[in-house]
Amino acid sequence: MTKHLLKLVWNRKRINFLITVEIFFSFIVLFGVVLAAVYYVDNYNQPLGFAYENVWRVAVEMNDRGEDSQSSQIAQTDGTTPKEPTEKAEPVTATTFKQLIASAKEFDEVEAVATATVTPYGDGTDTSAIGDDSHPIRYGVNVVSDDYLQTLGLTLTRGRWFGKEDDGANYQPVVINERLSRDVFGDADPLGKELRRPNLPPKQEEEKRTPMRIVGVISEFRKDGEYTAPENFLFARQLLNNQMSREPRCLMLKVRSGTTAEFEEKVIKRFQSVAKDWSFEIEPVTKMRETANTFRLAPLIAGTLVAGFLMLMVAMGLTGVLWQNVTQRTREIGLRRAKGATARRIHKQILAELVIIATFGLIFGVAAVVQFPLLDVIGDISSRVFSLSILISLAVIYALTAVCGLYPSWMATKVQPAEALHYE
Amino acid sequence: MIQLEGIEKVYRTERIETVALTNINLTVGEGEFISIMGPSGSGKSTLLNVIGLLDVPTGGKVALNSKPVTSYSDRNLARVRNEEIGFVFQTFHLIHDLSVVDNVEIPLLYRKGISSSERRKLALRALDRVGLHARVHHFPGQLSGGQQQRVAIARAIVGNPRILLADEPTGNLDSQMGDEIMDVLKGLNENEKTTVVMVTHDPRQAEKTERVVRLFDGRQVS
Repeated sequence: MTKHLLKLVWNRKRINFLITVEIFFSFIVLFGVVLAAVYYVDNYNQPLGFAYENVWRVAVEMNDRGEDSQSSQIAQTDGTTPKEPTEKAEPVTATTFKQLIASAKEFDEVEAVATATVTPYGDGTDTSAIGDDSHPIRYGVNVVSDDYLQTLGLTLTRGRWFGKEDDGANYQPVVINERLSRDVFGDADPLGKELRRPNLPPKQEEEKRTPMRIVGVISEFRKDGEYTAPENFLFARQLLNNQMSREPRCLMLKVRSGTTAEFEEKVIKRFQSVAKDWSFEIEPVTKMRETANTFRLAPLIAGTLVAGFLMLMVAMGLTGVLWQNVTQRTREIGLRRAKGATARRIHKQILAELVIIATFGLIFGVAAVVQFPLLDVIGDISSRVFSLSILISLAVIYALTAVCGLYPSWMATKVQPAEALHYE
Repeated sequence: MIQLEGIEKVYRTERIETVALTNINLTVGEGEFISIMGPSGSGKSTLLNVIGLLDVPTGGKVALNSKPVTSYSDRNLARVRNEEIGFVFQTFHLIHDLSVVDNVEIPLLYRKGISSSERRKLALRALDRVGLHARVHHFPGQLSGGQQQRVAIARAIVGNPRILLADEPTGNLDSQMGDEIMDVLKGLNENEKTTVVMVTHDPRQAEKTERVVRLFDGRQVS
């Protein structure tokens, strides 16, 4: 029977062409939406690597930028010519941040506080790369103070977090995530190893920068949240002394559970008293997460609405075309009944023909979408997510065509054979 | 072979009631070749449909091979139509998107236990019996009316039914082609003892049958 139906569908290819085209385009559009949805769900199900509950981000705007350069002179202003400093003085920024941290710790509501250059779910980003130019291994960077591990609830899997034991070291202590460790060192233990920066010959690198030495490994850190793909990540130690090379951009506060928004005002007042010229803005990370996730999901929701509308149109079109098709074939259906087909058999045949027609459209559809990774139009999506998206899209289209075919094929079985044979 | 007892057929709509057959009693013996005649609207085709289990009578009983079939389920009716009865229609009812041999295979598709190669073999043999072995891969549109009716006959006999029901098989053909078709039906009746019931308007063709049943306004008049 399958061979018979294949032959029938093939010989009616002109009539079936439009349905095939309709199914082809529906599949392409649906695949795009399903791929995005599966990608998000897959990302969502992977560990985030940090705890965002009860964490507040205090954005710091350092308005007076002239102080740091004058700091050493101010310290020695006594009416005489300043002496050549024997040691670089601590920048005011570093001092102020230390004071801010100390003042924050005075609150009972604050469990931990740390500085950072990048905020989870925040707009800012900082990336770097290692390896050669042709195969760079990219990673995100966050320069954080020693208490960041506790503040964000990161999980150490190997080694240690950086701390006072690294003071005065001739290397820059860094903590990387397991993903970056795998990419750079494979199965080897990364602890104690150095990460080489790109584009610098070893000699030049030595002269310019302190080497980055891995002191610990964390399980994961997905700075942009649960809907983005996991990425390589590196934490460098923020020094708040005369060795400070980068200024923090914010403070992260881990507050006690149940701390209300009213506490925000108290914190800002205290901080303002410490750094009068700076401005502060507090936002709970949960709120930042909500905003970031809404922003990420918006295109998916829009795509789903468009695809849903398209599917509805396709479903109505298919039902109409099939209905017409069945009506035109009433006499053939009568003939088949006369030759021994049961009503159920006719019902199944109409559906089977539809499935075959859909399969033709879907073969072309799958052939088209498998080109996407080759043409690099969908970015870095795993083959598992890609394959699953194809399977889901196929299932949805088959289900849609089957549902569309149910009523027309049921109608086909309702006509009495004698009546069908004389249908005009 | 075929027994009809008190057959009534009434078509009812919301507004009108049309009586198509009234008290038809008919027995057709095995190997008989009969024709049913009557003016248009006299109920000839309706009677043939009732005999062929394509239509359900409003009243009366139908028995095939002494088995009452009136109360059969759709599945059993389909089986009887497939195994016991072959149909030939005035307008051939060939599927134009299938080749001649594929058309002939259709009844065998609904029969269990026949392989694809066996189906093809039986279809070719049936086409050979009606003298169309050279046109098996043609499509119906490439054949003359007489050839198309031969294909329809081949399709009707491919499953070796004991009863052949022909609804004006020569109605759409010229007299020469009509005679050829009658020869084929005659041959099946005489050589293979197939029971043939034929509806016709043509007295010349009716004369070639063993018995003529006449209908008028849904009643059997002879």
